[in-house]
Amino acid sequence: MRLARRVLPVLLLGALVLTGCKGAGPAPRKSGDVVGIYSGELTTINYLVTATTAEQSVAANCIDCLVEYDNLGILRPALATSWEVSPDGLTWTFHIRKGVKWLTYQGKEYAEVTAQDWVDAAKYILNPKNASQTADIVYRVIKNAEKYFNGEITDFNEVGVKAKDKYTLVYTLEKPVPYFLSMLTYCPFMPVNGKFLQEVGDKFGTDNEYLLYNGCYIFSVWEPHNQQVFVKNEKYWDAKNVHIPRLIFKFNQEAATLAPELFLRGEITGAGIPTDALDEWMKDPQKSKMVRPAETSFYTYFYAFNFNPKFPAEYEPENWKIAVNNLNFRKAIFHALDRRAALLTTDPYYPERMINNTITPKNFAAYGGKDFTQIGELAEISNRDSFNPELALQYRDKAKQELAGKVKFPVKVMMPYNTGSTSWTNRVQVVEQQLENLLGKDFIDIIPVGFPPTGFLNATRRAGNYALMECNWGPDYADPETYTDPFYPGSNYNWPEMAEGYLEPNGKTKYQNMVDEAKAEVIDIGRRYELFAKAEAFLINEAFVIPYSVGGGGYVATKLEPFTSPYAPFGVSSLKYKGQVVLDKPMSTEEYKAAYEKWLKDREAALQQEAAKAKK
Amino acid sequence: MLKYSLRRLLHSLVTLFMVLTLVFLLMRLLPVEGYYGERADKLTPAQKEAILRKMGLLDPWYVQLRNFYLQLLRGDLGVSVIYRANVPVKEILAAKIPYSVAFGLGALVLSLVAGLAMGIHMAQNKGLFWDKFWTWYVVFINAVPGAVYLLFIQLYGTSITGLPMLFDRYNVRSWILPLVSMSLSGIAANAMWLRRFMVDELNKDYIRLARAKGMSSRAIMVKHVLRNAFVPLANYLPASILFTISGSIYVESLYSIPGMGGLLVTAISRQDNPLVQALVLIYSSLGILGLFLGDVLMAILDPRIRLEKQGGAR
Repeated sequence: MRLARRVLPVLLLGALVLTGCKGAGPAPRKSGDVVGIYSGELTTINYLVTATTAEQSVAANCIDCLVEYDNLGILRPALATSWEVSPDGLTWTFHIRKGVKWLTYQGKEYAEVTAQDWVDAAKYILNPKNASQTADIVYRVIKNAEKYFNGEITDFNEVGVKAKDKYTLVYTLEKPVPYFLSMLTYCPFMPVNGKFLQEVGDKFGTDNEYLLYNGCYIFSVWEPHNQQVFVKNEKYWDAKNVHIPRLIFKFNQEAATLAPELFLRGEITGAGIPTDALDEWMKDPQKSKMVRPAETSFYTYFYAFNFNPKFPAEYEPENWKIAVNNLNFRKAIFHALDRRAALLTTDPYYPERMINNTITPKNFAAYGGKDFTQIGELAEISNRDSFNPELALQYRDKAKQELAGKVKFPVKVMMPYNTGSTSWTNRVQVVEQQLENLLGKDFIDIIPVGFPPTGFLNATRRAGNYALMECNWGPDYADPETYTDPFYPGSNYNWPEMAEGYLEPNGKTKYQNMVDEAKAEVIDIGRRYELFAKAEAFLINEAFVIPYSVGGGGYVATKLEPFTSPYAPFGVSSLKYKGQVVLDKPMSTEEYKAAYEKWLKDREAALQQEAAKAKK
Repeated sequence: MLKYSLRRLLHSLVTLFMVLTLVFLLMRLLPVEGYYGERADKLTPAQKEAILRKMGLLDPWYVQLRNFYLQLLRGDLGVSVIYRANVPVKEILAAKIPYSVAFGLGALVLSLVAGLAMGIHMAQNKGLFWDKFWTWYVVFINAVPGAVYLLFIQLYGTSITGLPMLFDRYNVRSWILPLVSMSLSGIAANAMWLRRFMVDELNKDYIRLARAKGMSSRAIMVKHVLRNAFVPLANYLPASILFTISGSIYVESLYSIPGMGGLLVTAISRQDNPLVQALVLIYSSLGILGLFLGDVLMAILDPRIRLEKQGGAR
């Protein structure tokens, strides 16, 4: 996760900047090439193995999935023209689009895309020798897949993926998975040609010539640490919705520093504007018309209270353990944290848009036309600001009373931060001053402790080496369940199962029982979402965590058009350039905000429409 | 000379073995989490095991070490496991080395020509304006971090001259600024040392004698001072030539030159063990060879130096 933020090459600018890409109009729109620079070279383009966003962006643009998201976040047919699901929700039958070709990197036809390609992909992924980093995503849902991966069964015919005929693919699941369709937009569910795989063997995905293409672009030139060139696939089944002829990316280790200058010289299509240069851009009459906010992501950031402290004795872990198990102590910090002030270190102009009141971000999932964050008790949480100094002081006084004689005040709060991140380094100081000033230095003593970027998470969060820490999590599928994983027993985030006073008669914690109940509901999605909303509200109301912000954001100067590319909470659709054009001039902040408002309305209408369709 | 060379070769092989084994073992001490990539928090134990098994990290360390040396004896540098997964290390290096060598040699020639000229000019004008002027340059290059002036050269150099900001191997104009940038510190170093050695020589008795004998200043400079002052510099020349292979970390990255610069650091931080080992092998071998050739070159240039007698210059 840290890597994802660090590596974010300007290559991915398009993905960051312009999430989404569904071709709007039927007629091809005119567009120039995208020219960008990037600082992190691809290590592989084997999309069946990698889990890195930059590497998956190659697959997103070069290989199509069974389904894809449109620019409003609605799932549409792609390589599957239609599908049916059995009444028990276990068997999914997909009808494969006929006449779609696999092409070589030189654009020569190699074979036709058939149902067998998805079977071959599953067989490759589920072979432990290939060490796929996304194998679990397949074997957690497909029947017998985990057993095959672990060697408990050896006959692949027993695994729940079959080519019924050339154009009919059948997936059989272990149990009903309401979000299964959304999973199909992710790399491990992409097809691969078995004959080609056999031909190239271990070289598959090591170079652009060792990959076949059926998506919007062909990776025509790859000179590592020099350049990458993608050309439009003229034989693509939906070619009329691909408007950008070429994507050209030049490597430069200092891409982040040089990109703004190169953009001003007209040499590249877009650039992220670093926070320290933002003032200069905003105050310049010409430059200020070229800069606008970048899209946020579905990474959720939160401050976690650690219930399993393993930090050095000098920070008094035993004292912390007693304090953190006091609800009023946690709530005092929960309501004392001024998230806006903290976010100013990242976005000094528009921090509000980054604030996230829930763990699951807005616009991630919706049911019945209602966003998940507006369901049940979550609605109240998502519509308020947790920063409330009066409440914070009330809880502080109660905590002081309850903990008197039990803990030593001020309670030492060890807060690790990554020294490789300037904004985090600044932010931890802001948080320290702000919390101590509000709650009093006699109540808490925030101690920021810097750790180097290398092995940061191993040394801190995963080792339990913190008291209060900024953490993040990205979704694995388009269902609120994915945001419960960090807090479920077995995870290494903040061990809420070790909090005192939450055990229920069955030996599980209250939160775990709530999540289990929600997970078990796979038929009535409305109820499922209500149960997950209730569990998340419990987690927040009991102050196990302090929801903080969403990921992404920042500012960009770019000619790439926003809101026309796929919008997806999960999978790789949002990394596509399909549907986008390069504008004559970059959008200003005002133009961007107007386009965003329009997009929000369009999306709401589309969700309502889908809900109405589902009711019928 | 032959005996000396054989003895040095033996010492070199032992040194190389120690360095390689030490680096091999140190890499195995790194936390295994580094091999798991971005989804480390989400991988199942079975997946983690599969990843480590594929990289050969589940075998005992001595088995891994034995496999490494057996592979090396076959002339196989192995396959990259992370930096460019499944790509032979040889292929990765073969694509990068020509760029670094081309730029490195170009910059070396530039820095020798300009640096020696500057050093001579300074020595000839000791204490005068030009000596102070070039000293200011030397101090500037050594005192200001390269990242600062190199970035300025790139930004303003390209905007003033219209030269490209990013390297393109087919465009000769894009070679100019990186070459100049790479040679700046070499020019300063060569000038500084040559000036110092020449001034030392100028103060020696044999120079006074030569002057007394009526030799011209020019002849003294060329025949005596420069030749003697160049000997210590020559010692580092072979190593400098060989080490062009390692590339320039900052300039290469600044101008998008796909060379070797920073490769070792990247390989270590990504825990790509086969690539690290291959690079350590290459750099160590070149380092040892460079020192040896330096000694030989010194002996050739200065007949007073006898390698066998003293067991080498170092």
